[in-house]
Amino acid sequence: MVKGNWAVYEEDFYSMTLILQTLMRSANSRSVMLIDKTGQLISTVGTQPDFDITSFSSLAAADFGANAELAKMVGEKDFATLVHQGLDDSMYLSMIANRVILVVLFDRKTSLGLVRLKAKRAGDELLIVLNKVFDKLHYKNEDIAATTLGADFAAEAESEIDSLFKD
Amino acid sequence: MSLINYSSREINCKIVYYGPGLCGKTTNLQHIYSRVPQDTRGKMISLATEMDRTLFFDFLPLELGQIRGFRTRFHLYTVPGQVYYNASRKLILKGVDGIVFVADSQIDRFEANIESLVNMHDNLSEHGLSSEKVPLVIQYNKRDLPRVVSVPDLEKELNPKGAPFYEAVALRGTGVFDTLKLACKLVLKTLG
Repeated sequence: MVKGNWAVYEEDFYSMTLILQTLMRSANSRSVMLIDKTGQLISTVGTQPDFDITSFSSLAAADFGANAELAKMVGEKDFATLVHQGLDDSMYLSMIANRVILVVLFDRKTSLGLVRLKAKRAGDELLIVLNKVFDKLHYKNEDIAATTLGADFAAEAESEIDSLFKD
Repeated sequence: MSLINYSSREINCKIVYYGPGLCGKTTNLQHIYSRVPQDTRGKMISLATEMDRTLFFDFLPLELGQIRGFRTRFHLYTVPGQVYYNASRKLILKGVDGIVFVADSQIDRFEANIESLVNMHDNLSEHGLSSEKVPLVIQYNKRDLPRVVSVPDLEKELNPKGAPFYEAVALRGTGVFDTLKLACKLVLKTLG
């Protein structure tokens, strides 16, 4: 389970990024991100935000996680979408395939209704790509990383870790 | 679970610092943050109460650099140690690749360590993870304090399976990097 059982290959990455770009343009949003539900950024398109995207991703995942627990408490299976509305900037988050979070950042140039509509469509398209990704991973089994990263990956990483993390 | 992106050539791994309240999890991260080069670390996020107790989590991203052409990153998280924040702890464990269990060596906190360890195993199994499969490093913290349990006694109660351990004084940084380094290495071994 903890082995590298979640990997994105080039062609799927481009398919996903293309969907994000289409969504960004059609929803007239500022930027769109795809984040793994454990808080790791997969892809981002649009205006580069002036905040730390890595931290943003971990907080977005935590946000979703906390809301999923709240959903269970009130008797819902989950809250599949979340909206945070600000004075100028807002964000729309939606969980896809119970694995990735689609985040749309938008301002007053567009409307929540349009974002919601376009994000729903993009979510359906992403689901198709993600299912393809999961199928591939399933066929290649959990040792996918071991076979593609190479046996000496860990050895090389060790020396990097030693030189970087020292008192 | 680590995320390997073959297109942007990135590997992201998640290490969680677990342990009872006030055992020094946040202190570990603060020391790491203060000592690693600026271009290696991202922004440290602490979702804490006004009393500086961790409410949801602390988060510190570290960039290892390029390894065989892959930008390798570790995301370090701490869980809130206080007993009543279990829902948050469970959430943070989602997708974990490696765990550092920070034990408080003080005699008064002996029971709290056991309770936290049992809680960790319970939460891991709720995520369908077995604690034997997730790389684990134990850190016996606060070794400088006067009334502490001996390491053999701590080992007997907290580490029957013989996971690697370090003695530490996180406040001064002793043992902090040894613990982190080993945790990172064990996680990367599961990949390559």
